[in-house]
Amino acid sequence: MAKIIKPDELLKSINYTPPAANWMDLPNDLSPGRFAYPAKQDKVEYLMHEIPGQFGNPRQWRPEDVDWKLPSNWKEIVMNGFRERLDKYRSLKLFMDICVRCGACADKCHYFIGSGDPKNMPVLRAELMRSIYRGEFTLAGKILGKLTGARVMEEDVLKEWFLYFYQCTECRRCSLFCPYGIDTAEVTMMARELLHLVGVNINWILEPVANCTRTGNHLGIQPHAFKDIVEFMVDDIETITGKHLNVPLNEKGHEVIFITPSGDVFADPGIYTFMGYLMLFDAIGLDYTLSTYASEGGNFGLFTSADTMKALNGKMYAEANRLGAKWILGGECGHMWRVVNQYMDTMNGDMQGPQMKTPVSPITGTVFENAKQTKMVHIAEFTADLIKHGKLKLDKSRNSDIIATFHDSCNPARAMGMFEEPRYVLKNVVDQFYEMPENTIREQTFCCAGGSGLNTDEIMEIRMRGGLPRGNALRYVQEKNGVNTMACVCAIDRATLIPLADYWAPGVKITGLHELVGNALILDGEQERTMNLRQEPLPGMEEE
Amino acid sequence: MGLTDSIATRSKELSQKWADLILGTYPEQTQVVWRKNRDHFTNPVGSAILASTSELIPLLLTWNDAAAVARSLEQIVKIRAVQDFTPGQALSFVFLLKKLLRQEFTKELAARGELEELLRFETRVDNLAVIAFDLYVAARDQIARMRVDEVKRAHTNIVRRANLMKADVTAQKAD
Repeated sequence: MAKIIKPDELLKSINYTPPAANWMDLPNDLSPGRFAYPAKQDKVEYLMHEIPGQFGNPRQWRPEDVDWKLPSNWKEIVMNGFRERLDKYRSLKLFMDICVRCGACADKCHYFIGSGDPKNMPVLRAELMRSIYRGEFTLAGKILGKLTGARVMEEDVLKEWFLYFYQCTECRRCSLFCPYGIDTAEVTMMARELLHLVGVNINWILEPVANCTRTGNHLGIQPHAFKDIVEFMVDDIETITGKHLNVPLNEKGHEVIFITPSGDVFADPGIYTFMGYLMLFDAIGLDYTLSTYASEGGNFGLFTSADTMKALNGKMYAEANRLGAKWILGGECGHMWRVVNQYMDTMNGDMQGPQMKTPVSPITGTVFENAKQTKMVHIAEFTADLIKHGKLKLDKSRNSDIIATFHDSCNPARAMGMFEEPRYVLKNVVDQFYEMPENTIREQTFCCAGGSGLNTDEIMEIRMRGGLPRGNALRYVQEKNGVNTMACVCAIDRATLIPLADYWAPGVKITGLHELVGNALILDGEQERTMNLRQEPLPGMEEE
Repeated sequence: MGLTDSIATRSKELSQKWADLILGTYPEQTQVVWRKNRDHFTNPVGSAILASTSELIPLLLTWNDAAAVARSLEQIVKIRAVQDFTPGQALSFVFLLKKLLRQEFTKELAARGELEELLRFETRVDNLAVIAFDLYVAARDQIARMRVDEVKRAHTNIVRRANLMKADVTAQKAD
């Protein structure tokens, strides 16, 4: 028998302890998969021309290269930009000064919870910027340096910002727990604005922004193609219901203009939600039009800069005015509602034409006082009101194969406080509904980890680890209650939750709320339904 | 008392110690937070680690249900497959059980001249690593597949339109 290894050799042979180091001294890991691809040069050039003062340094560059081809005075540009914003936004100055590093936010971020990377603790992520604020703008920081947690701006710091401010979805879950109410999303926004000035950016945000500026929607689809695509869905609805619907496009003189994210028009499974909207409007005889220019509710400007957000948002009122609509009905979208609810009136309220009025449901007479300022109503509120007044004929049995849960999208939940309306609608169109655990829903909801322009495939691992808290809660109700469907009211969710569910809770399907409404809705003069909006057999119709 | 009996008696303690070693593969600040919070929903990584180690030690002892072993490994492997680890680091957690067993039992067994009992048991841990490797690769494959599928889904209706236009062009040529 061979000689057995000595006991102490055995003991020493396995060691996987990570090196201990201060966070400021850890090198940036810019290996593939840790960042989203940078923006194409022509997109940046176009945007510099269209929305001046927000962007700079268009070029081809690769984050994995040592040389990021920054302008020689990049530091001056960033520091001037920082100073300018500290003067302009009192909130930023306050957020830089008042954090006492109590740590209440530390374990609230989905990216931290999933990754365990301390720089994803919201307090430390913000500290990446605060340390520069202290080092460059405060006397104590300038004199005492590292002792006060201060440092000076260097290229590695800029790279660190790029890595970590693009691992924040601006979901604001951390802000909920901050005793001072620091809005970490706004810190991220400011960091991204500064990065844009020196051409440090990601394509998944800037290409949609450029497309939106040019054609009105993220994919850059032009009016004739948009029309074709809407007709596909009208055809599909006819196949399913036997009814050919009339969908007004760019028509003047209707009461309502309907605006929804373009993901609903182009992407699976958003398209089924879009079909649900069209069927709803037919069922109640809504006097509405779509616009091929306001063909995007989403606003990636929110993830870019305040001025960009304002520029992209302007088309909503511009089209309402051009088409003479009295108010705007908005589809199922997440960040669109943060822009609408928190910024639109301040940014573009003066664009509202004299024809615009406080929204009143033409079917129930309900006055949407909450939308008095913006003139824009969320479709979940609108539909909930219709159901409450008994205006919809619904056949729940068509959704009887569905055991549903509801994912609160970050922005409608935390930026709008909309919790009950989508649940009310959902419970009226499906029989079986189960909530995920209390500390993962409503205002405490966990992000899909693809918001704020991070729903791109090259960072799938980042998204999956960030999506773990949501996926884990979903898996729980899947195992406990047999949940097989997660409904949501956000186009980014409808795209990002699919891989999230496939990975963390395989077998759970993702749907929009109005897809389920469309399934249950009984239209006047429709044929007997045998299939759902996905053209799969309805429960009990499998054999036919 | 033989090795397996000792492990069985101390199963709970060993699970906790193994979990502690696994937590030790994360940065210090993170360990502090994850050790404190036992909530399954706000600390899914910490709780998955403890769940896996608690289930796996009894399974290693009975060692007759490969499917159950895989089920207990799956969540922790999937988690580590998307965290910032090299493949080796991701799966190192299995070998930390070896480290633990050696720490706990080597001296005692060596004194009794029964060290081969430990080596025999370690074969099971090696097999655990092989199962974990299969799960890891499956998870990584799934990530790659999801990336492709997502791009396709994002353009469903655009592709539908493009295909129709292509069909139109081909039809005209046939005339």
